[in-house]
Amino acid sequence: MNIEDNYLKNKKNIFFSENKDIQTHREKLINIFKDDRFDKKNNESLKNINLKNFIDFKYKYLIPEETSVINNNQENCYSIVSVNGQCSSFKDDKIEITKIIDEDYNDFSKNDTIEKNDHFVNLNSLFLNSGFKIVIKKNNNIKIKISNIITDDDLTIFQKNSYICEEGSSLNLIEEYENKNNSSSNILNVIKLEKNSQLNHFLIQDNSPNHNLIITTHSSCKKGSTYTQKVYNFSEGYVRNFHYSELIEANSEADLQGIFFLKDNNTSNNKTFVKHLAEDCKSNQVYKGILNDRSKATYFSNTHVDQVAQKTEGYQLSKGILLSDNASYFSKPELKIYADDVKCSHGSTIGPIDENAIFYLRSRGMSKIAATKILISSFINEELSSIDNEQMSEIIQKKLIRYLSKVK
Amino acid sequence: MFLEIKDLSVKIENKNILKSLNLNINKGEVHAIMGPNGSGKSTLANVLAGKEDYEILNGRINFKDNDLFDLNIEERAQEGMFLAFQYPVEIPGVNITPFLHSAINSKRKRMNEEEIDNLSFAKLLKSKASDLGINIDMLKRSVNTGFSGGEKKRYEILQMSILNPDLAILDETDSGLDIDALKIVTDGVNKLKTKDNSFLIITHYQKLLDYIKPDYVHVMVNGSIVKSGGSEIAAEIEKDGFQKFQ
Repeated sequence: MNIEDNYLKNKKNIFFSENKDIQTHREKLINIFKDDRFDKKNNESLKNINLKNFIDFKYKYLIPEETSVINNNQENCYSIVSVNGQCSSFKDDKIEITKIIDEDYNDFSKNDTIEKNDHFVNLNSLFLNSGFKIVIKKNNNIKIKISNIITDDDLTIFQKNSYICEEGSSLNLIEEYENKNNSSSNILNVIKLEKNSQLNHFLIQDNSPNHNLIITTHSSCKKGSTYTQKVYNFSEGYVRNFHYSELIEANSEADLQGIFFLKDNNTSNNKTFVKHLAEDCKSNQVYKGILNDRSKATYFSNTHVDQVAQKTEGYQLSKGILLSDNASYFSKPELKIYADDVKCSHGSTIGPIDENAIFYLRSRGMSKIAATKILISSFINEELSSIDNEQMSEIIQKKLIRYLSKVK
Repeated sequence: MFLEIKDLSVKIENKNILKSLNLNINKGEVHAIMGPNGSGKSTLANVLAGKEDYEILNGRINFKDNDLFDLNIEERAQEGMFLAFQYPVEIPGVNITPFLHSAINSKRKRMNEEEIDNLSFAKLLKSKASDLGINIDMLKRSVNTGFSGGEKKRYEILQMSILNPDLAILDETDSGLDIDALKIVTDGVNKLKTKDNSFLIITHYQKLLDYIKPDYVHVMVNGSIVKSGGSEIAAEIEKDGFQKFQ
């Protein structure tokens, strides 16, 4: 079924179908797909994937029967269960959780930083069926854990979430994606950090082989705010993590980190695009991958330093270990600098595991497999040891041990 | 015979490095191999330790009644062979203490000995490090990472003293060491020397042999041992160089 027919057939189940402006926007999107001129060579959203598989899908959505928000005020900790992309509304003096409304959609669709030719974001806007908005109120310091659950096979979740950290607030956000059914999630997160706020965002991805997960995040940071994203991808299904970040006021910071562990025929596509639009801002991007068997990964990194963004510090680093001759990792770090007083660097190192290090460890009595595993662990040691959340650290260590148990 | 190398020929990337090399080492002996750059000394050390880049063209090596070529790299280490590297590899993220603990226990396991527990190992490591003038803080670091040349060599000797090998091969352990560090390292080696273990010391210079007295000195040129004798050969080389052996 073509995109237009698919949309028209399911229109009544899609959010904001009655809104004329939104409908007009969606018609434009349909025309993009109708043109069918997909630039596979230059469009980073199309690398390593067959777009047809994602366009030609059977739409299916079920409204969840039960969602929950549990808060423990003593620890300022909230547990949210998001079912099929939706969660319960909730309000107290620290946070407010609501469903997304028409105005939020406009906020997403008018965003210029997110590429207009990102077909997955366009699909998300077209078939939107879920999402929520969370506001962290001024000067509050809280933790939120979100478990993302999909109830049935064959569900296609198109979800938009909005996070707003008000002035002086601090949020530690842990998101778990551990879906075992045959389904797909296409999620767009839009995150706004007001003055002097902070968001530490952990994403743990561990889906089964038949679950596709596409996450696109856009963050914007105002004066003195910091957004930190750490993605740990252990999924056996396809995962796309794209991140667009704007440092719009002075002394703001974006720290983006992604570690992925791939095997079999799995693919992971990663992209970061950081815009420095004000003075004295910092960005740091570290992406590391371990690839076994016939797995594939891409990492596109782009740091754009506007001419007003003096005293910028912008760093990009990507590293990969290929455990098999058939694994591949394509990395393309780019810097575009229009200011003259900046410190920026980029680097990329991809290759097999260091044979000299293996020999050294084996010459002390360690088996080849033990040496390989210890070197894989050491490759990501710096990132793992920087996790200051004990529970997260334990979860990731367990998943790492599971991944290593399959390395031969 | 403790170590017997018979008629060994080895090549790498179509280049013959070792040519019909013969060497016998008995238990409790210290042998030194001296030779000019490119004579094949480090190749011999690497082949003994099991590095897989080399192609064995001919010959055999027996070590403690084992055909060495039947043992892989780690099995050789577990059987008691130890190579102190000329250029120890930096391994960021691999902490020294658990690495060495794991190494000693892999050897004990092969020897059907009881594994050493955390506390006993920590005590052993601390005591051996102190003997070698190694700061305890260094043991919290990653293997060879950020070490100076002297620290790397001292750390190699620390590993050797912990693993207590039957045959230790020291590949140019003296290179990059100042006189004080050389003394500390050689003291460490001398403390380990017993009637039951053997040493194969590879060096360019006599200086190292002033501190570790060899029973035999061999001159290696162009992949073969061309002369063997006692300490007087080292003095001869110090005086006249390797020219006359080539």
